[in-house]
Amino acid sequence: MYSSDDYEQGYNKDYDYNSYDTDFGAHSGDATVDNDFNRQYFKMPELVVKFLKYFCECVRDRQVFELQNLYEGSWPKLTEEFFEKRPWPEETDVMTHVNKDPVFMILYKELYFRHIYARIQGGPTLEQRFNSFYNYCDLFNYILSEAEPVSLELPELWLWELVDEFVYQFQSFAQYRARLQKKTAQELENLNTHNKVWNVLCVLNVLHSLVDKSNIKQQLEVFAAGAESDSVAGEFGRHSLYKMLGYFSLVGLLRLHSLLGDYYQAIKVLENIEVHKKSQFAHVPACQISTSYYVGFAYMMMRRYSDAIRTFSSILLFIQRTKQLFASKSYQHDQINKQTDQMYHLLAICLVLHPQCIDESIQQTLREKNYHEKMYKMQYGDLQEFENCFCTLVLNSFHLVLHR
Amino acid sequence: MAEAMKQTVATMLKGIERYNPDNLPTLERYVEVQSRENAYDLEANLAVLKLYQLNPQGFNIDITSQILLKALTNFPHTDFILCKCLLNERQLSEEPINQIMYLGDILEQCDFQIFWKRVHSMPELTQRIAGFLDSIRKFVCHVVGITYQRVDRVHLAELLGDVDDLTLKHWVKKYGWKEEGALIFIANQDENIKTKNINEKIDFDNVGAIMASCH
Repeated sequence: MYSSDDYEQGYNKDYDYNSYDTDFGAHSGDATVDNDFNRQYFKMPELVVKFLKYFCECVRDRQVFELQNLYEGSWPKLTEEFFEKRPWPEETDVMTHVNKDPVFMILYKELYFRHIYARIQGGPTLEQRFNSFYNYCDLFNYILSEAEPVSLELPELWLWELVDEFVYQFQSFAQYRARLQKKTAQELENLNTHNKVWNVLCVLNVLHSLVDKSNIKQQLEVFAAGAESDSVAGEFGRHSLYKMLGYFSLVGLLRLHSLLGDYYQAIKVLENIEVHKKSQFAHVPACQISTSYYVGFAYMMMRRYSDAIRTFSSILLFIQRTKQLFASKSYQHDQINKQTDQMYHLLAICLVLHPQCIDESIQQTLREKNYHEKMYKMQYGDLQEFENCFCTLVLNSFHLVLHR
Repeated sequence: MAEAMKQTVATMLKGIERYNPDNLPTLERYVEVQSRENAYDLEANLAVLKLYQLNPQGFNIDITSQILLKALTNFPHTDFILCKCLLNERQLSEEPINQIMYLGDILEQCDFQIFWKRVHSMPELTQRIAGFLDSIRKFVCHVVGITYQRVDRVHLAELLGDVDDLTLKHWVKKYGWKEEGALIFIANQDENIKTKNINEKIDFDNVGAIMASCH
């Protein structure tokens, strides 16, 4: 879901819609025109229409448990069945089925774009990137600018993936923009005139606003001291929507600061979060794993190797023990597997630079997965091996962000 | 003055304010004050570098150099690396930042003799940072303290940057070391080895759930 390689390879290639293309006979040969052409003729399956109607109802009635089923179960399933290689139906097609419910439409579009980023070969077009950004603006404006808390409730996993995706799309845009040589003059001009889109300050502003609105920092402070966090939560922070968005935004900031090389802020942003401890906020494993990943990475970059080792081995142990729990949810599973693999590489580097004893079962895995060979090479000063361990996995997501 | 500014600056570092380029002049002035008055505020300095990162046209190489030199004074903490990570490759290769990077490198490797030679060969670089040399000597003493049991006094004087006997005595006294003729007694390192006791604390609450599910 987060592979940036996918776009690089697929970009500028012709779209490949397999069976869809062949159904309609004549083609202009131009990818984008074909794309529109297909969309016009795609009739929404009855099942999808029913799903969208019900989905909309659940959002409106704040049926969190039902939403969780739809989000984690039905959506991926329908995606696999009907939208494996093509986008979900256009906004205009969906609107008519859900009475133009504005909030649902924003949420739908978020999922729609996210699916394009993750699944559509060639990745999102410039226009889609822009529109996805504007849609996020609509969503956060809706949540943040009301005088009272909005009456919206979403499952925690959704909220986490929403914030995480927001930061991811920023990162993806920065990488996309950096690849100048492949762009047409038209695209370059478009990029220049819309330089506010996916602007780093804007992203920072959103995350900070969500943090402030929810009083999450104060809540965590009180919570860490053992008191009831509701006492300082304020009107907004008491709502689970704001509270969790605030919490996930802290993790989003951690990720963003790491991307920008600001490791001090990255760690500081989590000052009241106990990374290794269970808490009321730690229900989403993907969030916990991601947090440890970026914390460990920041420590490593600060050369606080023993802290990095502690962070990595603790979360790797957690993953080892709970692996079967998320094995059933395939799309999360892939992401977690990838991060796990990256963390073993980083751990190997840290252990070479700062040898120490670690948990026996982590040591065991390092041995089984042949990391000891890499570590042996690194110990002998093989810089190339260091680069291999670091670059292949990490660098494609980091640092490119800064090349503007 | 540094104390007085600290408060104002603290409000400029909160939340999104940290990214407000209008604060840059104040923060830059604060850097100058730190250099003059031997004060130090890592967080404010990182915010300056961050603003340069986001607004490259405002990049001020003189201020950046001061920030990096101040970061050197806080060895063995990681401040220097934190600052370095906010600069791009081009900036790092510019004069005199590349010189400071070299100083950071050899300091990290504890090549103190080379370090002092360098510093003495270009006094104008570090002159503006009040207390720079003594801060580095503190780091040297820290390294000496965890490295040696006894050290030759001539060698120690060299490590501290070819200091005269009086200055040497001052540092020896400051760290509670003892003069033994031509040697300086630092510490008995054997005494510093601490044995580790691992106590596992498991109370009833921890095992309650397991016990319940055993039935």
